[in-house]
Amino acid sequence: MSTAIVILALLAGAYVVAVLEGWAATGRFQPAGPALDAVALLGRESVVTRSSDRIFFEVGPVLLLISALLAAAVLPLAPGLIITDLATGALFVNAALAYVMVALLMAGWGPDGVYAMVGGWRFLGQLVGYSMLIVMPLTTVAMRAESLFTTRIVESQGAMWNVVFQPLGFVLFFLAALAVCFLPPFDLPTAPGELAGGVMSEYTGARLGIMRLARMVLVVTLSVTVTVFFLGGWLGPVLPPWAWTLGKSLVVAAAMLFAGRYVPRVREEHFLQWCWKYGIPLALINILYVGIVLLVVGK
Amino acid sequence: MLQTVFVALFGIAAIWFGVVVFTTSSMVRSALALLFSQTAVGAMFLAMQAEFLGVLQIMMMATEMSIMAIFMVMYMMDPGGLMGMDMTHQKRLSQAAGVLGALVVIGIVFLAGWGSIAGSVPPGQQVHDLGIELMERSMLIFETAGITILTAMIATIAVALERRR
Amino acid sequence: MATLIVALIVGAILFGVGLYGSLSQTNLVMIMMGVELMLAGAMVNLVAFWRFLHPEAYSGQMFVLIVMTVMALEMAVGFGVGTARFRYKGSVEMEEARDLKG
Repeated sequence: MSTAIVILALLAGAYVVAVLEGWAATGRFQPAGPALDAVALLGRESVVTRSSDRIFFEVGPVLLLISALLAAAVLPLAPGLIITDLATGALFVNAALAYVMVALLMAGWGPDGVYAMVGGWRFLGQLVGYSMLIVMPLTTVAMRAESLFTTRIVESQGAMWNVVFQPLGFVLFFLAALAVCFLPPFDLPTAPGELAGGVMSEYTGARLGIMRLARMVLVVTLSVTVTVFFLGGWLGPVLPPWAWTLGKSLVVAAAMLFAGRYVPRVREEHFLQWCWKYGIPLALINILYVGIVLLVVGK
Repeated sequence: MLQTVFVALFGIAAIWFGVVVFTTSSMVRSALALLFSQTAVGAMFLAMQAEFLGVLQIMMMATEMSIMAIFMVMYMMDPGGLMGMDMTHQKRLSQAAGVLGALVVIGIVFLAGWGSIAGSVPPGQQVHDLGIELMERSMLIFETAGITILTAMIATIAVALERRR
Repeated sequence: MATLIVALIVGAILFGVGLYGSLSQTNLVMIMMGVELMLAGAMVNLVAFWRFLHPEAYSGQMFVLIVMTVMALEMAVGFGVGTARFRYKGSVEMEEARDLKG
């Protein structure tokens, strides 16, 4: 039951995020836009490139969707509204998100196209940069909750949300989340205007539809992740818990989509340089700071 | 019973992908087959109720094997496998060694007396208990692993650096 | 009992496949893949021992963690050597590598 609700909520969220993205990109608000696009994509011819690696070509978009859904499986939308509450929840989110990279690698290598392949390998480089910035802020979150259960992580933020408790961790995690779902300042694997769509350039028709859907689900999953780990999840006064998760996730998703509008695309080597030279030391400082605060002041 | 079925299923998947690693001629396929083999091993861990290890294995191998894939593409003559190059030597000997090694180990498995089998894992928080083990009894070993990683990092960078003339 | 035996057999076959691979391949990266498979077989065995023989002793899981570290390190150092070799000789074919001298 809760599985169906969570998946429906994710898909609905993906639709809303698609509308938001259209708004952020073109400046026009079109509520029916994504539906029309989807119908148009389904009707279009689905081209398979010459000497493509057929298995990778077909599996790539599906794996992207599956990994986004798996990551969402351990995130609570409200008390009890969670697909599976794992004892290793916070780690599992990270494990599922690692397969986003594998999916993009497959989708990049599969079609035997130059732009696609460059995009796929670029995302591997991007992962080397952002993966530590996902893990280290999660460590501090788990330190405060003294648990890896995502539900307990939400409950641990009753007195104070993690965004106030460790703002540095929040900023780092938010930027890393932007990099995971390759949204504008970090959209190196797709890079419209430079790589002509990159990973997505050789996909057409229904396959492109799946890929865009997967990307939107990924954005929703990551905004829920940010909400659960840093913005107190379902916690909040007056309104029912699910409404709080919904509202906060939408705000985070909107922030993620509009953030890239005013920033130029970051170059690959700059991204890696900044992640390793500034991001990781800051994340370590954050771990130290949270550890000291937890020992001296308490939760 | 159900546990046996799952362990066997994931085991067969792990072995099948492991064989694909050495039979396919596309290098990226080979690296990703290894990735899925390791993921199946991680799923076996989950089936054997080692939850933390299973998730950790699945997480680590995704990155590790993808990095392997890019090194394959960098260093191989024919990463796409479109030219049909033969990249093997001493095939007979290795086949014999592989089969013999597996058979010897299987023989030991059947000959050894395994004693009493534990019915279930102790209840409670496995992740918590593993953490306590890491930070108390096995702390020195864990620290050694950390030092080893540091040493390997320095050694790797020193070896791979371009020598300046 | 049956599950333990199944897991151990899987471990043994993975070891055999890895042994075949690391002996038969000529490329450094492929040899490392064989070694990774052998280590995976060892890890399956270790987890099976922990689960079915001593589930109360967490040193078994600890051992698996160390093996995972070793896998990652083996890969890193191997690629380091491979990179150095590729710079000097232009290939990482092990048939040509009779000596490790740069």
